[in-house]
Amino acid sequence: MLLCDFHIHTTYSDGSVELRRTIDIFGQAGFDVIAITDHVVNGDNSLGKLAHRFKYSVTSNNFYGYIDHINREARRAREKYGMLVIPGVEISKNHLTPDRSAHLLVIDIRDFIPACWSYEEIFLEVKKQRALTVACHPHHMTLKTDRDTLFLWNNRDKYARYIDAWEIANRDDMFNVVGLKKYPYIANSDFHKPRHLYSWKTLLNCEKDTEAIKECIKHNKGVAMTLFRN
Amino acid sequence: MTFFWICAVIALIGLVGYLFQSLSVRFYTAPRLTEEEGRYRSLPPVSILKPLKGLDDGLFDNLESFCNLDYPAYEIIFALQNRNDPAGRVAERIKEKYPSKDISVVVEFCDDGLNPKVNNLIPAYKRAKYDLLLISDSNVRVEKDYLAAVAGHMTDPSVGLVSNMIKGVNGRSLGAVLENLHLNSFIVGSVCFLDKYLGLPCVIGKSMLMKRSDLEAIGGFAAVKDLLAEDYIIGQRIHKLGKKVVLSNHIVGNVNEYWEFRKFFNRHTRWGKLRWHIGGIKYFLELIGNAVFISCLPLVFSPLRVSLPLAALVSSLKIICDYYIGRKLGARMNPLLYLLAPVKDIFIGCIWFVPVFSNRVVWRDNTYLIGKDSQLFPCPAAGKRHWRPAIIAAIRSKLALSRS
Repeated sequence: MLLCDFHIHTTYSDGSVELRRTIDIFGQAGFDVIAITDHVVNGDNSLGKLAHRFKYSVTSNNFYGYIDHINREARRAREKYGMLVIPGVEISKNHLTPDRSAHLLVIDIRDFIPACWSYEEIFLEVKKQRALTVACHPHHMTLKTDRDTLFLWNNRDKYARYIDAWEIANRDDMFNVVGLKKYPYIANSDFHKPRHLYSWKTLLNCEKDTEAIKECIKHNKGVAMTLFRN
Repeated sequence: MTFFWICAVIALIGLVGYLFQSLSVRFYTAPRLTEEEGRYRSLPPVSILKPLKGLDDGLFDNLESFCNLDYPAYEIIFALQNRNDPAGRVAERIKEKYPSKDISVVVEFCDDGLNPKVNNLIPAYKRAKYDLLLISDSNVRVEKDYLAAVAGHMTDPSVGLVSNMIKGVNGRSLGAVLENLHLNSFIVGSVCFLDKYLGLPCVIGKSMLMKRSDLEAIGGFAAVKDLLAEDYIIGQRIHKLGKKVVLSNHIVGNVNEYWEFRKFFNRHTRWGKLRWHIGGIKYFLELIGNAVFISCLPLVFSPLRVSLPLAALVSSLKIICDYYIGRKLGARMNPLLYLLAPVKDIFIGCIWFVPVFSNRVVWRDNTYLIGKDSQLFPCPAAGKRHWRPAIIAAIRSKLALSRS
């Protein structure tokens, strides 16, 4: 089984560890597959403007530099640790109310997708790029400091068909509603700090190859989750 | 005023002692073997025993550094107690990456003793092929010439054990920086001082090379399976056999990157308890040696106009000494971080008192009671404790220990 984490932030957005060191932390711990998914925040409201102001977002200006950096580090990770690193982003539609907020992982992204686009436009573009969409922390979280992002769950009847998988666990939180609905699932750390290494992870029974991994998650066969503890 | 002068004199004595410790370090940081000297010496094969438990900082690089040693013949045995230990994945990956190296991963549960590291070493020891055994912790990173430098000492038949100086490296969190500051000052200074000026071997188990025959002569791992300070006691017993215990001038890196403050606190209360139960009354010298802590006492208990300048002066001198040791060790720490040294010393001074009142130690998720010579006993009330029952249990266990 491949030990995987598909939700990882670096200093390209609000993570506290720079990209190279993040990859080293996961490589040193024996991970097989990770996805780097820094925030792309919507800049069309005051929250988003603040994120852009404090450089907590990948933007259209630095997106290709970001992808290029991940690809360079991915080559190093493959050579040194035998670990596969996949580029991605977390499209973050932040609003004042949780009911309107949503975060969406786009794994194996190739071109920039603005977070201020409509959901339909985003999903179409993701399909065009043959990337993978994952609804992250879709339900109520226990940590009071984190803001809930409930829009996709509340509108699941409309959007579930476009979403390849849902986070059933995020860091220390579990969303049993995802299991009850029998949606395809994965579990991730939402890594921002080194201590977040020890959290929920996904185990995949497939080849260590980007396409095979995407297919495995989409079909949700050979997927398991584990609480990774030291 | 009297209290101030008492503290000032003790701080001065402590500072002079620390100055000697700092100077003793330079005797062990002399130039190492040249490549040519190392290559042409006939070096015996070595079994490297690496007990693993959990993910230490930089584990992959730490283990990998042992695969690139410039040494004619050696084997590496990674020993785990549990197949589900996350360190097992890393060990397997290292084995896959270096198929030409003689690496084996041993997973075998052993509960012969209370010391988890010794329990881990016993199965590895059974599989070791060679007569020279190197015990090396998983948080240690070495350079290519390490094994040649260490094993070179074993060509002298009077040598029984070789240990190494350690330096804390790669600190990125507050806990890790404090840990590295302490390793690169008090710990390394004390080890060098004891070895150089007092001729007392003080073995730190991060790296220990010994002969199988000597280990067996002191009773093997079975003799230290219930001791917390198995490394120190092995050194003492080999010394008592009449063999030399050598402190190599090859400095090994102890990688501490992302320690939480709690881990730093836990390790130094544990090490303090260990020294208290081994050293007894000598443990009080440590407090006298903590010049920064002593010089700060008048600030709290007898504040005078001169109290602050005394504390500032002592702290400044201590920072200079720490910086000197750090440079000598090649610790490559940001010089500004040495400004944290007095804060660390004050904290270490505060936790110095803990061993006097508590004999309970927590090590890698195991809880024990510690007795004379760091003898371990099962802790009767491990787990979450409330104060009243905990105090009663501690008194009862103390009484039970004294009766036995």
